[in-house]
Amino acid sequence: MFEIGLAQYLTVAAILFTLGVFGIFLNRKNVIIIMMSIELILLAVNLNLVAFSSFLNDLVGQVFAMFILTVAAAEAAIGLAIVVVFFRNRGTIAVEEISQLKG
Amino acid sequence: MTFNLIPVLPELLVAAAALALLMLGVFRKGDSTRDATVLAIFAMGAALVTLAGAAGGGRQELFNGLFVLDGFAAFAKGMVLVASAFTLAMSLDYLKREKIGRFEYPVLVLFATLGMMMMISAGDFLSLYLGLETQSLSLYVLAAYHRDNQRATEAGLKYFVLGALASGMLLYGVSLVYGFAGTTSFDALAKLFSAHGAPSLGVVAGLVFVLAGLAFKISAVPFHMWTPDVYEGAPTPVTAFFAVAPKIAALTLLMRVLMGPFGELTHQWSQIVTLISIASMAVGSFAAISQTNIKRLMAYSSIGHVGFALVGLAPGSDLGVQGVLVYLAIYLFMNVGAFAVILSMRQKGRMVEGIADLAGLSKTSPGMAFVMAVLMFSMAGIPPMAGFWGKFYVFMAAVKAGMWTLAILGVLASVVSAFYYLRIIKVMYFDEPVEAFDRGIDRPMRLVMAVSTLVVLLFSFVPGPLLTSAKVAAAALFPAG
Amino acid sequence: MITALIFYMFAAILVASGVMVISARNPVHSVLFLILCFFNAAGLFLLLGAEFLAMVLVVVYVGAVAVLFLFVVMMLDINVAELRAGFLQYLPTGALIGVILLAELLAMFGGWAFAPDVEAIVQHQIPAVGHVTNTEALGRLLYTDYAYLFQASGVLLLIAMVGTILLTLRRREGVRKQKVADQIARTGRNSVEIRKVPTGGGI
Repeated sequence: MFEIGLAQYLTVAAILFTLGVFGIFLNRKNVIIIMMSIELILLAVNLNLVAFSSFLNDLVGQVFAMFILTVAAAEAAIGLAIVVVFFRNRGTIAVEEISQLKG
Repeated sequence: MTFNLIPVLPELLVAAAALALLMLGVFRKGDSTRDATVLAIFAMGAALVTLAGAAGGGRQELFNGLFVLDGFAAFAKGMVLVASAFTLAMSLDYLKREKIGRFEYPVLVLFATLGMMMMISAGDFLSLYLGLETQSLSLYVLAAYHRDNQRATEAGLKYFVLGALASGMLLYGVSLVYGFAGTTSFDALAKLFSAHGAPSLGVVAGLVFVLAGLAFKISAVPFHMWTPDVYEGAPTPVTAFFAVAPKIAALTLLMRVLMGPFGELTHQWSQIVTLISIASMAVGSFAAISQTNIKRLMAYSSIGHVGFALVGLAPGSDLGVQGVLVYLAIYLFMNVGAFAVILSMRQKGRMVEGIADLAGLSKTSPGMAFVMAVLMFSMAGIPPMAGFWGKFYVFMAAVKAGMWTLAILGVLASVVSAFYYLRIIKVMYFDEPVEAFDRGIDRPMRLVMAVSTLVVLLFSFVPGPLLTSAKVAAAALFPAG
Repeated sequence: MITALIFYMFAAILVASGVMVISARNPVHSVLFLILCFFNAAGLFLLLGAEFLAMVLVVVYVGAVAVLFLFVVMMLDINVAELRAGFLQYLPTGALIGVILLAELLAMFGGWAFAPDVEAIVQHQIPAVGHVTNTEALGRLLYTDYAYLFQASGVLLLIAMVGTILLTLRRREGVRKQKVADQIARTGRNSVEIRKVPTGGGI
């Protein structure tokens, strides 16, 4: 319990990952929350990588996490831009209201 | 330390062209979409030539194995470059007519192509991820490119959300694999798994997550939900681009990942690939029957084609890889040609997308009807068209590996799918014409139609070049037997 | 002992604010909890010895990405009630799937094992503390072995820039902007007109 090992970190990351997936399920209409859930998933991945990196004594995991941070920032920028143009056209950000294109 | 940069020369050329065209567009007064597009096509041609020059001489590794150029990568990159150049040529007049031409369009296509080339040449999960994201980010923007159109922005949004989720899954899987092995390099992973045989549970879970992420990118069932919406919503040239180049790139990437690092774990992934393949063929065949919009039909058709291609991947043999490569090459020409016809469907200056609009095409424009008929016969897999041989090689690979059920299900699915391809031919040749399409198909479009029809028709007579190069390419994935 | 306590504090707040991100009624609150998430994750990174990443997470993520989220949430006029519809409807299925997924992941992590000879595989060992700082070690790796990917991420950021500008920049007609060059170029000759007004005639 008081010995903090790899398993504890992986558990936290797994909970975060599940929360992210769960959040997407739960907020199917709200794109902004869906995007935040994706950020949670990526945070879980980063936590995984950094924990492995630390316990494997290998720097590659941290380099990987750094690239993920870079890409995620770019991805968030593009995603939010798409949300803004979508909002301009529709006046809402509800995704499920997609009667225009039937799934 | 000196670098030999010759193997990355094609990528450098594409990147430099994208940057140069960006500057051209920004600094020049007036609209430079057309010039930029033409120059981008030339840049891709130049990249193709340098690729041919750089690819000789076996496997070349660069940047500590992050970048690999072998026969397999060269073959796949060649296909991607040809596909991108064709689809750019097809968009020339469309953009002008619909008044949505902006010079960023060819620039983004170039960047997407760069990303695809990077992911095809990935020798490490890190370079795989960055290449994949370079491609995906460009594609997200391209899907929403027609920003004042509700359907296009909605397509972009859907594609973005699901694509980002898929990337997250892929990354989680990669992190698990890294956590087990302590490396992300494909070679090191392959060595590790061949030395120790049965992997731990974590690696298998990681493999499943990686497969799920990549299955999204090739729009295989059950990760296909976005495909029909995005294909219908995006501007048609963008749809044509989506249907060909990224799919080829992602499928070759999938092959490299499964045969390379996970080559020893064939037992683990073969079943999953088989299931995905069967499901994709079924959905692609049955869901397409009730479609009335031709872009949606093409979406389901592409899901089905991915299913057929995966049949060749399931055995994990070099024969299978060769079959998939041949299949993809033929798929490229069939799809490019079909989209050239779809892009020429205009009535009184407006684009139409209904299958019913094709009625009586054989009487109003016999040339276009002939092209479409040849392509549809080929997609249905009816000999002597090229599409038949594509299916023949993947099914043969499955049979050779003893996967009879998969091969038989594949043949059944292809019979079902023949129904809707033939329906289009029936509509074109036996229905009464409703309204003729506008005359005056532009020259690049005619060229694309002619080339694709010729390839599809003549492949049966001169299959040699494609088969040999696919064989050489497939052999590159299986070093020393 | 103290490390353990600090770990549990960070982990607990991280998970709790993660729950709040996906369940808060107001999207603005969600973003604020996301920021809290990032701070606590940065704390965990510090415990793991990844100082540079911890700082990047705070500076880049909290400073740029989360603020971007906040900006968009506040810019768009979001109807919260409409978006919440269906929330409870999905809750049972979602929770079930979430619990199963989590249980599977935890079962897998319970017996986590590294590859047999993992020490031999590891290519870039973390240098000993006090020898080289974490930032320097990462930098040495990033600008040498991973230079290719460094360039690639540069291209990626450029794509993000081009893409966002392409999607959102609009040149509206009739918007008055300050044109400094025009203001400076203005002289008395082209801005003042001298007229002779006849007595009682008006203009």
